[in-house]
Amino acid sequence: MGLIVGTFDLQELASQAGVTARTIRYYIKQGLLPSAESRGPLTRYGAGHLDRLRLINRLKQGHLPLSEIRLRLEDLDDEAVRRILENASPRKPQRSAAAYVRDVLAQRTRHPDASSSFPSLHQVPVASTRLVASPSEAYGGSADEQENTLHGSRVKSEPRSTWERIGLSPDIELHVRRPLSRQQNHQLDQLLKAARELISDDDS
Amino acid sequence: MTNEPNSNALSLQLLADRSLIRAGAHSTRYFTATLVAPTAERREQPLPVNVALVLDRSGSMSDARKFELAREAVESALGMLRKTDRFSLVVYDDHIDVLARSTLATDTARRNALRALAEIQPRGSTDLGAGWLTGCEQVAEHLDRSGVNRCLLLTDGLANHGITDPGQLAMHARELRVRGVVTSTFGVGADFDERLLRDMAHEGGGTFTFIEGAAQIPEAVTAELGEAAEVTVREASIRVDAPEGVRVEVLNRFRSSTDPATGSLVVVIGDLVSNQEITAALSATFPTGEIGEQVGIRFSALEQDHNVLGAGGKLTWTFATHSENDAQARERAVDRAVASVFASRARAEATEANRRGDLATAKRVLIGTARRIKGYAANDGELRQLAQSLEAAVSEYSVAEMSPYALKASLYAHENALKSRTPSGRATRRES
Repeated sequence: MGLIVGTFDLQELASQAGVTARTIRYYIKQGLLPSAESRGPLTRYGAGHLDRLRLINRLKQGHLPLSEIRLRLEDLDDEAVRRILENASPRKPQRSAAAYVRDVLAQRTRHPDASSSFPSLHQVPVASTRLVASPSEAYGGSADEQENTLHGSRVKSEPRSTWERIGLSPDIELHVRRPLSRQQNHQLDQLLKAARELISDDDS
Repeated sequence: MTNEPNSNALSLQLLADRSLIRAGAHSTRYFTATLVAPTAERREQPLPVNVALVLDRSGSMSDARKFELAREAVESALGMLRKTDRFSLVVYDDHIDVLARSTLATDTARRNALRALAEIQPRGSTDLGAGWLTGCEQVAEHLDRSGVNRCLLLTDGLANHGITDPGQLAMHARELRVRGVVTSTFGVGADFDERLLRDMAHEGGGTFTFIEGAAQIPEAVTAELGEAAEVTVREASIRVDAPEGVRVEVLNRFRSSTDPATGSLVVVIGDLVSNQEITAALSATFPTGEIGEQVGIRFSALEQDHNVLGAGGKLTWTFATHSENDAQARERAVDRAVASVFASRARAEATEANRRGDLATAKRVLIGTARRIKGYAANDGELRQLAQSLEAAVSEYSVAEMSPYALKASLYAHENALKSRTPSGRATRRES
């Protein structure tokens, strides 16, 4: 990590650190960051503030609560914070939302018919959509000892209908919602035959 | 059992069903955590809005004036934006057209977008994935983490071109939410895949809206945008810190995760709008302990970047004998809230069972849940009525296969109930 020179106003500091101005003010209030030396519209923050914000971010990514982070930071001077950041193993930067979308769309363009390399939620259990227990087994008033069971497995079923495009000419299409009954399929065949004859008559 | 409400603008109120737990057995107790967001007037200024409107223009959208009404919805939505907000406009069938790249919502920009939209006619099949992702890209390119960044997807059909796997689309929605882009979905009519749109919104941190008739399109879209402009708390969550040996789980359909370092459960609520009230129902299963010993669970309300908002509290339970446990009073408000959640879950499960033709399971789930609610209802009228309504629902879910409309309406109703939203999908507001 290179030596940071210069000072920042609040918005610049927020942008450099990847947090909001409101977060910075909160951290100052909670004692994780020292106040700026000046006040008002000329308030400037230094490299030490930026380093501390970066270290706070790394510690939060390590799932430490803010109270613990404050304890760890309170005895560190700017030099010590910088040494910690420099010695920390480099993390792979997370792609931005825009980069993520571009990657997905580019992969789709390269392999329009292949399944994506991203894992499907059908195969990978998703903790965030797990339900606690089957409603048929839970919340017994006297059954405190009942064991909760997992519930919410995804069941695949066929979609109820799809739309099909049938080209009749370069500029004319027919849209059909499947599935059709046998009678409707027969009517569709007749319709297509008549339509194609009509269009070919116009072309001749 | 009751935590005193915090005096900060965001309030967190806690209520447990009972205060005693069994010393000689593993007890499960239930409790509610209610968040109430501050009113919009308390904020310094409204949050900036950065929105993409993504419209399905496939052939079926010509039915029943759906696309015409979608155009009206867009016009109304653009009219709600401030000049400092951003919008983009994308239409898709099996080809994606960006009618308006992300731009500030000036009068000229709005006019140009609507003029371009007026020339679009429905055609083609449905590359929902690429259309939606293109809208997300427009939002992402001008992401403002201090504001509301949202992609609104409106469709009447399926994802039948391009990325078609619902699991992948939901996963992409989750990845984009983590990176700051929220997805809300609108499904119109009888033919769209309601589970796809529900899951995209769930993973994407937004809301899913079922629009039965095309005439409701404008109101649904403008209601969503109206709420986006009223956000007063970004990315709210509730952190639950329980001692070792106590297992806490959330019963509603909120995303949650466990912090591996601290063991805290984080219940993700999402953006909260002015005066919005969210009630999460949770359960805690306790180990055995010594009579008289106490166990406490701490709660904190968090916002964006996991900053603690100041609203918090603690619930405490005391180990006691079996007879003391059996004799203790119950907090009926919690019983009703939790029973309501389980009733919604039963109906949601019955809906899925009906969808796959398993009418026996649909009936079993409803009857079983009703029986259990009756088990602790005693003379409580609301609980007894809840149980009876589940029994009556047997005729709705387990006699014949439900129509596509009925399946959608049922899924939508219970998704809203399990997310503490109104039956029409709007934020529940505390009455002032």
